[in-house]
Amino acid sequence: MKKILGIIVISLLILSSFEMVAEDAKEIAYKVYNRKAPKDGESDMKMTLIDKRGGERIRDIRQFFIDLGDVEKQIMFFTAPADVKNTAFMNWSYDEAGKDDNQWLYLPALKKVKRISSSGKDNEFMGSDFTYEDMEKRNPERDNHKFIKSDKIDGEDVWVVESTPKKEEQYSKKRAWISKEREMPKKIEFYDEDGELLKVLTVLEVKKIKGYWVIIKQEMSNIQKKHRTLIELSNMKVDIGLKDNRFTQRTMQRGL
Amino acid sequence: MMKKMILIFVLNVIIILPVTVFSEGLEINGFVRNYSGILLEGDNDYSIVQNTLDLSFKKSEGDIGFVSNIFVYQYPSKENYFGIRELYMDYYSESVDLRIGKQQIIWGQADGVFITDIVSPKNLTEFLLWDFNEIRMGVTAAKGKYYINSDNSLELVWIPMFTPTLMPEEGSIWHPKMSFPLEPSFDMTKSEVDKNLNNSELFGRYSLNLSWIDLQVMGGYTFDDDPSIHVKRGFSIDSVTGTKYLSSMVVSPEYHRLNVGGLSFSADLTSFILRGEGAYYNNKYFQTADPIASDGLIKKDYINYVVGIDKTVGEWKLSTQFIQKIILDYEDNLIGDEMDNLATILVSKSFMREKLRLELFSYVGFNNEDALIRLKGYYYPSDAFGIEFGSNVFVGNEGTFGQFNGNNMVYAKIKYNF
Repeated sequence: MKKILGIIVISLLILSSFEMVAEDAKEIAYKVYNRKAPKDGESDMKMTLIDKRGGERIRDIRQFFIDLGDVEKQIMFFTAPADVKNTAFMNWSYDEAGKDDNQWLYLPALKKVKRISSSGKDNEFMGSDFTYEDMEKRNPERDNHKFIKSDKIDGEDVWVVESTPKKEEQYSKKRAWISKEREMPKKIEFYDEDGELLKVLTVLEVKKIKGYWVIIKQEMSNIQKKHRTLIELSNMKVDIGLKDNRFTQRTMQRGL
Repeated sequence: MMKKMILIFVLNVIIILPVTVFSEGLEINGFVRNYSGILLEGDNDYSIVQNTLDLSFKKSEGDIGFVSNIFVYQYPSKENYFGIRELYMDYYSESVDLRIGKQQIIWGQADGVFITDIVSPKNLTEFLLWDFNEIRMGVTAAKGKYYINSDNSLELVWIPMFTPTLMPEEGSIWHPKMSFPLEPSFDMTKSEVDKNLNNSELFGRYSLNLSWIDLQVMGGYTFDDDPSIHVKRGFSIDSVTGTKYLSSMVVSPEYHRLNVGGLSFSADLTSFILRGEGAYYNNKYFQTADPIASDGLIKKDYINYVVGIDKTVGEWKLSTQFIQKIILDYEDNLIGDEMDNLATILVSKSFMREKLRLELFSYVGFNNEDALIRLKGYYYPSDAFGIEFGSNVFVGNEGTFGQFNGNNMVYAKIKYNF
C-alpha cells in the first residue's frame, strides 16, 4: 500500500513539475507578448530580398503604427521600387485570441482601397521570406508552449521555448531563443508542416529608443530554398502622439 | 491642327519638365511601354502596335497639393493619341477633403464590371482590354468629402460637363457590330450634350468603414454614358404591289438623363471576402421592336447587381463574381433579354518571390453563351522592368464578347517603370 502511495505521490510530483515548466513557458511567451512597447511610432523600412546567387532586390517602405490595447494598427506606404510606389497596406491586428486580422490594400492603379482576405496571412509579404503573419504580434493563447532549456547566444542568457499552434497553421512549430534581459527573441526557427526546418529568423541589431528595446535589423533565411530577406529600420520615432483616426482608408488614399 | 497640338504638348513637356525637376519635393513617376498584339485569324494582322509614355507629377505641401498625369500613345500606323488623364488640386483639412480639376473617380467594389462605378466614363477604344488606370477617363469635377468621424463620411461630386464613353473609331476591330435592315443615314446633330449648367452631373455617396465591413450608398443624377440609338424609319408604298415597305432609316445617337441609386459593400467573413454592388437605374432607353414606340426606343427602369467572393488558398488567389441585369416591367418587344447573366473568374499565383505571376481572368456570358478568356503571364527580371505576355480569346458568335470572335490574339507588353 505504502509502495502504491509512494508511486502516486512521485507521479503527482512529476506531473506538477511538468505543469510548472509548461506554465513557465507560457509565462515567457506572455513576457515577450506584453513586453514594454511604444504606444505609437513611425519608421523607414528597407527590405532587401537576396536570392541564392546573392542578387538583391530592394523595397523601401514608410510605416506607421499604433497600439490601442485591444487592437494594433499599422499602415505601410511603399516608396520604392517605382512599380509599387504609393501602394499602401493597412493591417488591424486584434489582441483577442482567434480573432483574425483585417487588412486593406490601396493600389494606385486601381485608385481604390480593397479589403483583402486575412486568410492569406501565410503568403509571402511582397515576395520576401516573411509572411504577413511573421510580421505581426501573436497572441500566446494560439499556441501550446514548451520550455526546452536555458542557453547562451553571443554571451547573452536566453530561454529556449518551443511553441506549437493549437490549430493547424503554416508552421508545425516554432523554436525561439528569447533574451532574458530584453524579453525579446534573438533567434526563431520555423518548422514546416512535415516538421522540417524551413526558416530561421536572426535578430542582428537591437536599439533602445525612449526606453524601449526595438529590433533594428533582422534577417529571415529560408533554409530549404536558400534565399533570405534582410529588414532594416531607420529614422524610427516612438510615442509621437499618432491618433487612431490616422489609421484609416482616408490616409491610405491620401498617401505620404 | 494635329501638328500644332503635338507641338503644344511637346513644348509643355519641355517647359514643365525642367521646372518640375528642379522643384523641391516634386515626385515624378511613370512608365514607358511597348504593346504589340497579333490576331490569330486570317493574315495575322497586328491587333495593336502601341508605344506609351505615361508621366505623373505630384507635389504636396502641408494641406494642399496637385497631381498631373499626362499620356502619349504613339501608333506607327494611325494617329497618335495623347492628353491629360488627370490634373487636379487637393486641399485637406481636419474633416474635409476637396479635389478640384480633371480626375478619375472610381467607386464600387466590383472588378471589371461597372455598376456603381459610373462617375468616370470608360475608354472602350480597346474594348475592356486596357489596364486598370487606362480604361477610365478623367472628368473635370469638384469633389468634396466630409468625414463625420473616422468611420462615416459623405462625398459629393459635381461634374459641370458631361463626358461620354469613348467608343472605338469606325473601322476599329473593337467597333461594336450593328446591323440594320437597310443602309441607314446618320444624324449626328444630337450626338453631343450641350455644355451648360443644366447638363451637369451630380453624385453623392455615404461611406461606412468598420473593421469587418465597408459599405457605400450612392446616388447620381447623371447621363447615360452610352448613347441611345434613335432610329427613324421611313415607309413607302410599292407602286406595283401596293404594299408598304421600309424605304429609309435615319440613325441618331443621343445621350439621355439617367437617375441611379445603389449600394456596394465588402465584408471580411474570416476565411473569405464577400463583395457586392447593386444599383437601380431609372429611365434608361432600351431598343424595342414595338412599331408604335417612338424612334424604336422605350424607357424602362432596370436593376444591375454583382455578388463576388475573394479567397486565398495557399498561394493561389481566387475570385469569382456573378452579375445580373434585370429590366423591370419587361415587354416582349424589347430587343434585349429581361435578365442578362454574366460571371467573372480570376485565378492567379505568383512564383519565384513575385518575379513571375500567372493569371487567368474570364468573363462568361450565359445569355449568349459567349466569353472572353484572358490568360496572362507577368515576368519581372528587375524591379523597374516587366514583361507581360498573354492571350485574349473570344468564345461564341454573338453578345458582348462573342461579337469579337474574330479578334483572338496573343500579345506582349514590355514596360519600364520609373
